Amino acid sequence: MAEVGYLDIRRMFLASVEKIRENHQELSRLDSATGDGDHGTTMVRSFDSVEKTINDAQGEDLKSLLYDIGWNIMCADGGSTGPLLGSLFMGMSESVEGKDSLDEASLAAMFRAGLNGMSEQSKANVGDKTMMDALMPAVDAMEAAAGKGKSPGEMLADAAKAAADGAEATTDMQAKFGRARNLGERTIGHKDPGATSMSLIFQAFAESI
Amino acid sequence: MAMKKFINDPANLTSELLEGLTMAYCNKVKLVSEKMVCRTNEKSSDKVAILTLGGAGHEPALQGYVGEGMLDISVVGDIFAAPGPPKVFEAMKALSRDAGILFVVLNHAGDVMSANMAMKMAEKEGIKVKMILTHEDIAPGIDAPVEDKRGLGGCIPLYKIAGAAAEAGMSLDEVYRVAEKFNDNMATLAVALKGATHPSTGEAIFELADDEMEIGMGQHGEAGTGRSKMLTADETAETMLKQLVKAIDAKSGDKVFAMINGAGATTLMEQFIVFRHVKKSLAEKGIEIARAHVGEVLTVQEMGGFQMFLAKMDDEIIKLWDAPCDTPFLTVR
Repeated sequence: MAEVGYLDIRRMFLASVEKIRENHQELSRLDSATGDGDHGTTMVRSFDSVEKTINDAQGEDLKSLLYDIGWNIMCADGGSTGPLLGSLFMGMSESVEGKDSLDEASLAAMFRAGLNGMSEQSKANVGDKTMMDALMPAVDAMEAAAGKGKSPGEMLADAAKAAADGAEATTDMQAKFGRARNLGERTIGHKDPGATSMSLIFQAFAESI
Repeated sequence: MAMKKFINDPANLTSELLEGLTMAYCNKVKLVSEKMVCRTNEKSSDKVAILTLGGAGHEPALQGYVGEGMLDISVVGDIFAAPGPPKVFEAMKALSRDAGILFVVLNHAGDVMSANMAMKMAEKEGIKVKMILTHEDIAPGIDAPVEDKRGLGGCIPLYKIAGAAAEAGMSLDEVYRVAEKFNDNMATLAVALKGATHPSTGEAIFELADDEMEIGMGQHGEAGTGRSKMLTADETAETMLKQLVKAIDAKSGDKVFAMINGAGATTLMEQFIVFRHVKKSLAEKGIEIARAHVGEVLTVQEMGGFQMFLAKMDDEIIKLWDAPCDTPFLTVR
Protein backbone atom coordinates (compact mmCIF):
# COMPACT_ATOMS: atom_id res chain seq x y z
CA MET A 1 0.00 0.00 0.00
CA ALA A 2 1.45 3.31 -1.00
CA GLU A 3 -1.37 5.64 -0.07
CA VAL A 4 -3.06 6.16 3.27
CA GLY A 5 -6.76 6.93 2.97
CA TYR A 6 -9.67 7.92 5.14
CA LEU A 7 -10.38 4.37 6.30
CA ASP A 8 -6.72 3.84 7.23
CA ILE A 9 -6.66 7.01 9.32
CA ARG A 10 -9.91 5.96 10.92
CA ARG A 11 -8.40 2.56 11.76
CA MET A 12 -5.25 4.18 13.16
CA PHE A 13 -7.25 6.33 15.55
CA LEU A 14 -9.53 3.51 16.65
CA ALA A 15 -6.41 1.46 17.41
CA SER A 16 -5.08 4.34 19.53
CA VAL A 17 -8.35 4.39 21.48
CA GLU A 18 -7.88 0.72 22.34
CA LYS A 19 -4.21 1.19 23.16
CA ILE A 20 -4.95 4.00 25.61
CA ARG A 21 -7.70 1.98 27.27
CA GLU A 22 -5.38 -0.99 27.69
CA ASN A 23 -2.70 1.12 29.31
CA HIS A 24 -4.62 3.68 31.34
CA GLN A 25 -3.67 2.26 34.72
CA GLU A 26 0.00 2.36 33.84
CA LEU A 27 -0.37 5.99 32.67
CA SER A 28 -2.02 6.99 35.94
CA ARG A 29 0.63 5.13 37.90
CA LEU A 30 3.39 7.05 36.10
CA ASP A 31 1.53 10.30 36.73
CA SER A 32 1.21 9.66 40.44
CA ALA A 33 5.00 9.90 40.75
CA THR A 34 5.18 13.46 39.44
CA GLY A 35 1.59 14.67 39.15
CA ASP A 36 -1.84 14.00 40.56
CA GLY A 37 -2.15 10.48 39.24
CA ASP A 38 -4.97 10.95 36.78
CA HIS A 39 -3.26 11.00 33.39
CA GLY A 40 -4.70 7.60 32.48
CA THR A 41 -8.22 8.68 33.42
CA THR A 42 -7.81 11.89 31.43
CA MET A 43 -6.49 10.05 28.38
CA VAL A 44 -9.32 7.53 28.47
CA ARG A 45 -11.84 10.38 28.63
CA SER A 46 -10.08 12.16 25.77
CA PHE A 47 -9.96 9.04 23.58
CA ASP A 48 -13.56 8.12 24.38
CA SER A 49 -14.29 11.36 22.56
CA VAL A 50 -12.08 10.25 19.65
CA GLU A 51 -14.10 7.06 19.32
CA LYS A 52 -17.36 8.97 19.46
CA THR A 53 -16.15 11.46 16.86
CA ILE A 54 -15.19 8.65 14.49
CA ASN A 55 -18.50 6.89 14.95
CA ASP A 56 -20.46 10.11 14.46
CA ALA A 57 -18.49 11.23 11.39
CA GLN A 58 -20.57 11.84 8.28
CA GLY A 59 -19.13 11.31 4.82
CA GLU A 60 -15.50 10.43 4.36
CA ASP A 61 -13.76 13.76 4.61
CA LEU A 62 -10.29 13.39 6.04
CA LYS A 63 -9.85 17.03 6.97
CA SER A 64 -13.08 17.31 8.91
CA LEU A 65 -12.47 13.98 10.64
CA LEU A 66 -9.12 15.15 11.98
CA TYR A 67 -10.47 18.60 12.82
CA ASP A 68 -13.41 17.15 14.73
CA ILE A 69 -11.18 14.69 16.59
CA GLY A 70 -9.03 17.63 17.71
CA TRP A 71 -11.91 19.92 18.63
CA ASN A 72 -13.81 17.25 20.55
CA ILE A 73 -10.72 16.16 22.46
CA MET A 74 -10.47 19.74 23.70
CA CYS A 75 -14.07 19.52 24.85
CA ALA A 76 -13.20 16.56 27.05
CA ASP A 77 -11.83 18.91 29.74
CA GLY A 78 -8.53 17.15 30.18
CA GLY A 79 -6.44 19.97 31.60
CA SER A 80 -3.42 20.63 29.36
CA THR A 81 -3.92 17.32 27.52
CA GLY A 82 -6.95 18.76 25.70
CA PRO A 83 -5.33 21.82 24.12
CA LEU A 84 -2.14 19.87 23.36
CA LEU A 85 -3.67 16.87 21.62
CA GLY A 86 -6.42 19.06 20.20
CA SER A 87 -3.94 21.34 18.49
CA LEU A 88 -1.93 18.31 17.29
CA PHE A 89 -4.89 16.76 15.49
CA MET A 90 -6.36 20.07 14.32
CA GLY A 91 -2.91 20.98 13.02
CA MET A 92 -2.83 17.69 11.11
CA SER A 93 -6.20 18.49 9.58
CA GLU A 94 -4.84 21.69 8.03
CA SER A 95 -2.33 19.85 5.85
CA VAL A 96 -4.85 17.45 4.29
CA GLU A 97 -7.17 20.06 2.77
CA GLY A 98 -8.79 18.60 -0.35
CA LYS A 99 -6.98 15.26 -0.08
CA ASP A 100 -8.67 11.87 -0.09
CA SER A 101 -5.50 9.90 0.44
CA LEU A 102 -1.93 10.61 1.38
CA ASP A 103 1.30 9.49 -0.22
CA GLU A 104 4.45 9.11 1.87
CA ALA A 105 5.43 12.77 1.65
CA SER A 106 1.91 13.96 2.51
CA LEU A 107 1.72 11.56 5.44
CA ALA A 108 4.94 12.94 6.89
CA ALA A 109 3.74 16.49 6.16
CA MET A 110 0.52 15.83 8.03
CA PHE A 111 2.37 14.88 11.20
CA ARG A 112 4.73 17.84 10.80
CA ALA A 113 1.70 20.14 10.56
CA GLY A 114 0.32 18.53 13.71
CA LEU A 115 3.59 19.12 15.53
CA ASN A 116 3.54 22.75 14.39
CA GLY A 117 0.02 23.10 15.77
CA MET A 118 1.04 21.68 19.11
CA SER A 119 4.13 23.89 19.23
CA GLU A 120 1.83 26.91 19.19
CA GLN A 121 0.46 25.74 22.54
CA SER A 122 3.68 24.55 24.13
CA LYS A 123 7.19 25.89 23.96
CA ALA A 124 8.51 22.56 25.20
CA ASN A 125 11.37 20.96 23.31
CA VAL A 126 13.10 17.59 23.36
CA GLY A 127 14.67 17.22 26.79
CA ASP A 128 11.94 19.02 28.73
CA LYS A 129 10.17 15.81 29.81
CA THR A 130 6.86 16.31 28.00
CA MET A 131 4.86 14.77 25.13
CA MET A 132 7.30 16.53 22.80
CA ASP A 133 10.04 14.06 23.75
CA ALA A 134 8.07 11.38 21.93
CA LEU A 135 6.38 13.47 19.24
CA MET A 136 9.34 15.40 17.85
CA PRO A 137 11.60 12.38 17.18
CA ALA A 138 8.62 10.48 15.77
CA VAL A 139 7.93 13.20 13.21
CA ASP A 140 11.63 13.45 12.35
CA ALA A 141 11.82 9.68 11.90
CA MET A 142 8.81 9.72 9.66
CA GLU A 143 10.29 12.37 7.38
CA ALA A 144 13.61 10.52 7.26
CA ALA A 145 11.82 7.29 6.36
CA ALA A 146 9.82 9.00 3.62
CA GLY A 147 13.05 10.44 2.26
CA LYS A 148 14.50 6.94 2.03
CA GLY A 149 11.50 5.76 0.04
CA LYS A 150 9.99 3.67 2.81
CA SER A 151 6.31 2.70 2.77
CA PRO A 152 3.72 4.32 5.06
CA GLY A 153 3.75 1.20 7.24
CA GLU A 154 7.53 1.37 7.59
CA MET A 155 7.37 5.11 8.24
CA LEU A 156 4.93 4.63 11.10
CA ALA A 157 7.02 1.77 12.48
CA ASP A 158 10.09 4.02 12.51
CA ALA A 159 8.04 6.77 14.14
CA ALA A 160 6.75 4.39 16.82
CA LYS A 161 10.29 3.24 17.57
CA ALA A 162 11.56 6.83 17.81
CA ALA A 163 8.61 7.82 20.03
CA ALA A 164 9.21 4.85 22.34
CA ASP A 165 12.91 5.70 22.63
CA GLY A 166 12.03 9.33 23.25
CA ALA A 167 9.56 8.44 25.97
CA GLU A 168 12.07 6.08 27.59
CA ALA A 169 14.67 8.85 27.63
CA THR A 170 12.42 11.08 29.72
CA THR A 171 13.14 8.90 32.76
CA ASP A 172 16.47 10.62 33.30
CA MET A 173 15.18 14.13 32.63
CA GLN A 174 14.11 16.89 34.94
CA ALA A 175 10.66 18.30 34.11
CA LYS A 176 10.67 21.83 32.70
CA PHE A 177 6.99 22.24 31.92
CA GLY A 178 3.58 21.65 33.39
CA ARG A 179 2.70 20.74 36.90
CA ALA A 180 5.71 18.45 37.26
CA ARG A 181 8.02 21.46 36.79
CA ASN A 182 7.38 22.42 40.41
CA LEU A 183 8.92 19.16 41.59
CA GLY A 184 12.26 19.97 40.01
CA GLU A 185 14.88 17.32 40.63
CA ARG A 186 12.35 14.98 42.20
CA THR A 187 11.07 14.21 38.70
CA ILE A 188 14.35 12.54 37.71
CA GLY A 189 13.96 8.78 37.64
CA HIS A 190 10.32 8.82 36.59
CA LYS A 191 9.17 8.29 33.02
CA ASP A 192 6.95 11.10 31.76
CA PRO A 193 3.32 10.02 31.43
CA GLY A 194 2.59 12.44 28.56
CA ALA A 195 5.52 11.19 26.49
CA THR A 196 4.44 7.64 27.28
CA SER A 197 0.92 8.19 26.02
CA MET A 198 2.23 9.90 22.90
CA SER A 199 4.43 6.87 22.29
CA LEU A 200 1.43 4.55 22.77
CA ILE A 201 -0.52 6.52 20.17
CA PHE A 202 2.26 6.04 17.61
CA GLN A 203 2.58 2.38 18.53
CA ALA A 204 -1.14 1.92 17.83
CA PHE A 205 -0.85 3.86 14.55
CA ALA A 206 2.04 1.63 13.43
CA GLU A 207 0.30 -1.59 14.39
CA SER A 208 -2.81 -0.69 12.43
CA ILE A 209 -1.14 -0.04 9.03
CA MET B 1 -5.97 1.95 52.09
CA ALA B 2 -8.98 1.89 49.83
CA MET B 3 -10.70 5.19 49.13
CA LYS B 4 -13.56 5.94 51.49
CA LYS B 5 -15.81 8.63 50.00
CA PHE B 6 -19.53 9.12 49.46
CA ILE B 7 -19.58 9.01 45.70
CA ASN B 8 -21.44 7.19 42.93
CA ASP B 9 -19.79 6.58 39.58
CA PRO B 10 -16.33 8.26 39.63
CA ALA B 11 -16.91 9.30 36.03
CA ASN B 12 -19.80 11.55 37.09
CA LEU B 13 -18.21 13.35 40.06
CA THR B 14 -18.09 16.79 38.50
CA SER B 15 -21.52 16.80 36.91
CA GLU B 16 -23.16 15.45 40.08
CA LEU B 17 -21.43 17.93 42.39
CA LEU B 18 -22.38 20.84 40.12
CA GLU B 19 -25.96 19.66 40.02
CA GLY B 20 -25.98 19.50 43.81
CA LEU B 21 -24.43 22.95 44.20
CA THR B 22 -26.84 24.62 41.82
CA MET B 23 -29.82 22.81 43.33
CA ALA B 24 -28.85 23.83 46.86
CA TYR B 25 -28.28 27.47 45.94
CA CYS B 26 -30.69 27.79 43.03
CA ASN B 27 -31.58 31.35 44.02
CA LYS B 28 -27.95 32.36 43.39
CA VAL B 29 -26.45 30.00 40.81
CA LYS B 30 -27.59 27.89 37.88
CA LEU B 31 -25.97 25.28 35.72
CA VAL B 32 -25.91 26.18 32.05
CA SER B 33 -24.77 24.04 29.16
CA GLU B 34 -23.11 21.46 31.41
CA LYS B 35 -20.19 22.59 33.57
CA MET B 36 -20.85 26.32 33.28
CA VAL B 37 -21.99 27.74 36.61
CA CYS B 38 -23.71 31.10 36.06
CA ARG B 39 -25.50 33.69 38.16
CA THR B 40 -29.20 33.03 38.50
CA ASN B 41 -29.92 36.76 38.27
CA GLU B 42 -27.68 37.95 35.51
CA LYS B 43 -25.74 41.16 35.90
CA SER B 44 -26.90 43.99 33.65
CA SER B 45 -24.95 44.04 30.43
CA ASP B 46 -23.67 47.60 30.90
CA LYS B 47 -21.33 46.28 33.63
CA VAL B 48 -18.07 44.38 33.21
CA ALA B 49 -18.50 40.62 33.56
CA ILE B 50 -16.11 38.49 35.63
CA LEU B 51 -15.20 35.04 34.29
CA THR B 52 -12.94 32.30 35.60
CA LEU B 53 -12.06 28.69 34.81
CA GLY B 54 -10.64 25.76 36.72
CA GLY B 55 -10.87 22.13 37.65
CA ALA B 56 -13.33 20.67 40.14
CA GLY B 57 -12.52 18.91 43.39
CA HIS B 58 -11.57 22.13 45.22
CA GLU B 59 -15.00 23.00 46.63
CA PRO B 60 -16.26 25.51 47.53
CA ALA B 61 -13.86 27.09 44.96
CA LEU B 62 -14.23 28.22 42.35
CA GLN B 63 -17.90 28.02 41.40
CA GLY B 64 -19.08 28.57 44.99
CA TYR B 65 -18.19 32.22 44.41
CA VAL B 66 -20.46 32.83 41.45
CA GLY B 67 -23.10 35.39 42.24
CA GLU B 68 -23.84 39.07 42.67
CA GLY B 69 -20.67 41.02 43.40
CA MET B 70 -18.23 38.26 42.47
CA LEU B 71 -18.14 35.89 39.47
CA ASP B 72 -20.58 35.87 36.57
CA ILE B 73 -19.52 32.49 35.21
CA SER B 74 -17.14 29.80 36.42
CA VAL B 75 -16.27 27.30 33.69
CA VAL B 76 -15.55 24.00 35.38
CA GLY B 77 -13.33 21.24 34.02
CA ASP B 78 -13.10 17.81 35.53
CA ILE B 79 -11.51 16.80 38.82
CA PHE B 80 -8.23 18.77 39.09
CA ALA B 81 -8.33 19.31 35.32
CA ALA B 82 -8.94 22.50 33.36
CA PRO B 83 -11.96 22.78 31.10
CA GLY B 84 -11.26 22.73 27.39
CA PRO B 85 -10.96 25.93 25.35
CA PRO B 86 -14.26 25.40 23.47
CA LYS B 87 -16.23 25.56 26.73
CA VAL B 88 -14.35 28.66 27.90
CA PHE B 89 -15.00 30.31 24.54
CA GLU B 90 -18.68 29.45 24.87
CA ALA B 91 -18.75 31.26 28.22
CA MET B 92 -17.03 34.28 26.67
CA LYS B 93 -19.67 34.39 23.95
CA ALA B 94 -22.41 34.16 26.57
CA LEU B 95 -20.91 37.08 28.52
CA SER B 96 -19.89 39.15 25.51
CA ARG B 97 -20.80 42.83 26.01
CA ASP B 98 -19.54 46.30 25.17
CA ALA B 99 -18.41 46.79 28.77
CA GLY B 100 -16.11 43.79 28.38
CA ILE B 101 -15.09 40.74 30.39
CA LEU B 102 -12.37 40.34 33.00
CA PHE B 103 -11.07 36.78 32.75
CA VAL B 104 -9.32 35.57 35.92
CA VAL B 105 -6.96 32.63 35.37
CA LEU B 106 -5.00 30.77 38.04
CA ASN B 107 -1.47 29.91 36.99
CA HIS B 108 -1.60 26.19 36.30
CA ALA B 109 -0.37 24.67 33.03
CA GLY B 110 -3.73 23.33 31.84
CA ASP B 111 -5.71 26.40 32.87
CA VAL B 112 -3.30 28.77 31.13
CA MET B 113 -3.18 26.70 27.95
CA SER B 114 -6.95 26.51 27.76
CA ALA B 115 -7.28 30.21 28.60
CA ASN B 116 -4.78 31.30 25.94
CA MET B 117 -6.53 29.28 23.27
CA ALA B 118 -9.93 30.63 24.27
CA MET B 119 -8.49 34.19 24.21
CA LYS B 120 -7.39 33.64 20.62
CA MET B 121 -10.86 32.44 19.67
CA ALA B 122 -12.39 35.47 21.42
CA GLU B 123 -10.08 37.81 19.57
CA LYS B 124 -11.15 36.37 16.21
CA GLU B 125 -14.78 36.80 17.25
CA GLY B 126 -14.21 40.39 18.38
CA ILE B 127 -15.14 39.72 22.00
CA LYS B 128 -13.82 42.33 24.44
CA VAL B 129 -11.98 40.45 27.16
CA LYS B 130 -8.92 41.09 29.33
CA MET B 131 -7.10 38.27 31.06
CA ILE B 132 -5.50 38.49 34.49
CA LEU B 133 -3.24 35.71 35.79
CA THR B 134 -2.98 35.00 39.52
CA HIS B 135 0.40 33.64 40.57
CA GLU B 136 0.76 34.39 44.25
CA ASP B 137 2.33 31.14 45.46
CA ILE B 138 5.69 31.99 46.94
CA ALA B 139 6.79 28.37 47.53
CA PRO B 140 9.30 28.42 44.66
CA GLY B 141 10.81 31.64 46.10
CA ILE B 142 9.66 35.23 46.24
CA ASP B 143 11.68 36.17 43.16
CA ALA B 144 10.99 32.99 41.21
CA PRO B 145 9.79 33.44 37.61
CA VAL B 146 6.03 33.77 37.18
CA GLU B 147 5.86 30.38 35.40
CA ASP B 148 6.83 28.68 38.65
CA LYS B 149 4.37 30.52 40.87
CA ARG B 150 1.01 28.84 41.00
CA GLY B 151 -2.30 30.54 41.53
CA LEU B 152 -3.66 29.38 44.89
CA GLY B 153 -6.54 30.57 47.10
CA GLY B 154 -5.80 34.24 46.47
CA CYS B 155 -8.11 34.15 43.47
CA ILE B 156 -11.12 34.15 45.82
CA PRO B 157 -10.54 37.58 47.43
CA LEU B 158 -9.47 38.79 44.00
CA TYR B 159 -12.86 37.76 42.56
CA LYS B 160 -14.44 39.81 45.36
CA ILE B 161 -12.38 42.92 44.60
CA ALA B 162 -12.86 42.69 40.83
CA GLY B 163 -16.53 41.78 41.21
CA ALA B 164 -17.22 44.77 43.42
CA ALA B 165 -15.40 47.06 41.01
CA ALA B 166 -17.53 45.73 38.16
CA GLU B 167 -20.77 46.17 40.15
CA ALA B 168 -19.72 49.75 40.91
CA GLY B 169 -19.81 50.40 37.18
CA MET B 170 -16.07 50.77 36.63
CA SER B 171 -14.78 50.33 33.07
CA LEU B 172 -12.89 47.21 32.06
CA ASP B 173 -9.59 49.08 32.28
CA GLU B 174 -10.47 50.27 35.79
CA VAL B 175 -11.63 46.83 36.95
CA TYR B 176 -8.41 45.39 35.55
CA ARG B 177 -6.38 48.07 37.30
CA VAL B 178 -7.76 47.40 40.79
CA ALA B 179 -7.64 43.63 40.28
CA GLU B 180 -4.03 43.88 39.15
CA LYS B 181 -3.19 46.13 42.09
CA PHE B 182 -4.51 43.48 44.47
CA ASN B 183 -2.83 40.73 42.42
CA ASP B 184 0.55 42.46 42.58
CA ASN B 185 0.39 42.79 46.34
CA MET B 186 -0.73 39.35 47.44
CA ALA B 187 1.07 36.15 48.44
CA THR B 188 0.12 32.65 49.54
CA LEU B 189 2.02 29.83 51.15
CA ALA B 190 0.54 26.38 51.72
CA VAL B 191 1.38 23.72 54.25
CA ALA B 192 0.27 20.09 54.19
CA LEU B 193 0.45 17.46 56.89
CA LYS B 194 -1.72 14.73 55.42
CA GLY B 195 -2.30 13.59 51.85
CA ALA B 196 -5.53 13.26 49.93
CA THR B 197 -6.95 10.69 47.54
CA HIS B 198 -7.84 11.54 43.96
CA PRO B 199 -11.58 10.91 43.87
CA SER B 200 -11.51 9.65 40.26
CA THR B 201 -8.73 7.10 40.68
CA GLY B 202 -8.91 6.37 44.41
CA GLU B 203 -5.13 6.69 44.59
CA ALA B 204 -3.20 8.85 47.02
CA ILE B 205 -2.02 12.05 45.35
CA PHE B 206 0.85 12.30 47.81
CA GLU B 207 1.93 10.87 51.09
CA LEU B 208 3.59 12.29 54.15
CA ALA B 209 4.95 10.38 57.12
CA ASP B 210 2.95 10.59 60.35
CA ASP B 211 5.39 13.03 61.91
CA GLU B 212 6.04 15.14 58.81
CA MET B 213 4.64 18.29 57.25
CA GLU B 214 5.51 20.09 54.04
CA ILE B 215 5.45 23.82 53.46
CA GLY B 216 4.86 24.84 49.87
CA MET B 217 2.65 21.92 48.86
CA GLY B 218 0.54 22.76 45.83
CA GLN B 219 -3.17 22.30 45.63
CA HIS B 220 -2.92 19.04 43.69
CA GLY B 221 -0.28 17.55 45.94
CA GLU B 222 2.56 18.93 43.85
CA ALA B 223 5.56 18.82 46.10
CA GLY B 224 6.69 21.91 47.94
CA THR B 225 10.03 23.00 49.13
CA GLY B 226 10.28 22.38 52.81
CA ARG B 227 9.55 18.99 54.28
CA SER B 228 10.11 18.97 58.03
CA LYS B 229 9.07 17.32 61.27
CA MET B 230 5.71 18.53 62.61
CA LEU B 231 5.82 21.94 64.28
CA THR B 232 3.29 23.58 66.59
CA ALA B 233 0.62 25.92 65.21
CA ASP B 234 2.55 29.00 66.32
CA GLU B 235 5.86 27.76 64.94
CA THR B 236 4.28 26.82 61.61
CA ALA B 237 2.40 30.11 61.38
CA GLU B 238 5.51 32.13 62.18
CA THR B 239 7.65 30.31 59.61
CA MET B 240 5.08 30.95 56.89
CA LEU B 241 4.13 34.46 57.95
CA LYS B 242 7.73 35.65 57.88
CA GLN B 243 8.00 34.71 54.20
CA LEU B 244 4.63 36.20 53.31
CA VAL B 245 5.37 39.54 55.01
CA LYS B 246 8.62 39.69 53.09
CA ALA B 247 6.91 38.74 49.82
CA ILE B 248 4.40 41.58 49.95
CA ASP B 249 6.88 43.90 51.65
CA ALA B 250 4.46 44.77 54.47
CA LYS B 251 5.79 47.37 56.88
CA SER B 252 4.70 48.99 60.09
CA GLY B 253 1.62 51.10 59.40
CA ASP B 254 0.48 48.95 56.48
CA LYS B 255 -2.98 47.43 56.32
CA VAL B 256 -3.41 43.87 55.13
CA PHE B 257 -6.01 41.25 54.36
CA ALA B 258 -5.20 37.95 56.09
CA MET B 259 -6.81 34.65 55.22
CA ILE B 260 -6.43 31.13 56.53
CA ASN B 261 -7.86 28.65 54.04
CA GLY B 262 -8.33 25.10 55.27
CA ALA B 263 -7.23 22.41 52.80
CA GLY B 264 -10.09 20.05 53.64
CA ALA B 265 -9.21 17.99 56.72
CA THR B 266 -7.79 20.68 58.96
CA THR B 267 -10.35 21.81 61.51
CA LEU B 268 -11.59 25.35 61.99
CA MET B 269 -10.24 25.00 65.52
CA GLU B 270 -6.73 24.66 64.12
CA GLN B 271 -7.30 27.43 61.58
CA PHE B 272 -8.34 29.86 64.32
CA ILE B 273 -5.35 28.90 66.43
CA VAL B 274 -3.11 29.64 63.47
CA PHE B 275 -4.91 32.90 62.73
CA ARG B 276 -4.47 33.99 66.34
CA HIS B 277 -0.72 33.83 65.92
CA VAL B 278 -0.86 35.67 62.60
CA LYS B 279 -2.76 38.51 64.26
CA LYS B 280 -0.39 38.73 67.25
CA SER B 281 2.75 38.49 65.18
CA LEU B 282 1.60 41.15 62.69
CA ALA B 283 0.53 43.43 65.56
CA GLU B 284 4.07 43.24 66.97
CA LYS B 285 5.33 44.43 63.58
CA GLY B 286 2.82 47.27 63.54
CA ILE B 287 0.93 45.74 60.62
CA GLU B 288 -2.83 46.02 60.89
CA ILE B 289 -5.18 43.26 59.72
CA ALA B 290 -7.83 45.45 58.13
CA ARG B 291 -10.01 42.52 57.01
CA ALA B 292 -9.74 38.77 57.50
CA HIS B 293 -11.24 35.47 56.47
CA VAL B 294 -10.84 32.10 58.19
CA GLY B 295 -12.32 28.89 56.77
CA GLU B 296 -12.34 26.71 53.69
CA VAL B 297 -12.41 28.57 50.39
CA LEU B 298 -10.29 26.34 48.18
CA THR B 299 -9.76 22.76 49.29
CA VAL B 300 -7.95 19.69 48.04
CA GLN B 301 -10.31 16.91 49.00
CA GLU B 302 -9.36 15.57 52.45
CA MET B 303 -5.87 17.01 52.45
CA GLY B 304 -4.71 18.14 55.86
CA GLY B 305 -3.13 21.56 55.99
CA PHE B 306 -3.96 25.13 55.07
CA GLN B 307 -3.01 28.05 52.88
CA MET B 308 -1.97 31.27 54.54
CA PHE B 309 -2.74 34.35 52.44
CA LEU B 310 -1.67 37.93 52.90
CA ALA B 311 -2.44 40.94 50.71
CA LYS B 312 -1.90 44.65 51.08
CA MET B 313 -5.06 46.71 51.37
CA ASP B 314 -5.50 50.39 50.72
CA ASP B 315 -8.72 52.37 51.19
CA GLU B 316 -9.91 51.62 47.67
CA ILE B 317 -9.43 47.84 48.15
CA ILE B 318 -11.07 47.90 51.59
CA LYS B 319 -14.09 49.66 50.16
CA LEU B 320 -14.40 47.04 47.43
CA TRP B 321 -14.02 44.21 49.94
CA ASP B 322 -16.84 45.71 52.05
CA ALA B 323 -19.20 46.15 49.09
CA PRO B 324 -22.19 43.80 49.04
CA CYS B 325 -21.99 40.39 47.43
CA ASP B 326 -24.24 37.37 47.45
CA THR B 327 -22.77 34.03 46.42
CA PRO B 328 -23.24 30.51 47.83
CA PHE B 329 -20.09 30.76 49.96
CA LEU B 330 -19.55 34.45 50.57
CA THR B 331 -22.18 37.01 51.35
CA VAL B 332 -21.55 40.60 52.39
CA ARG B 333 -24.50 42.79 53.22
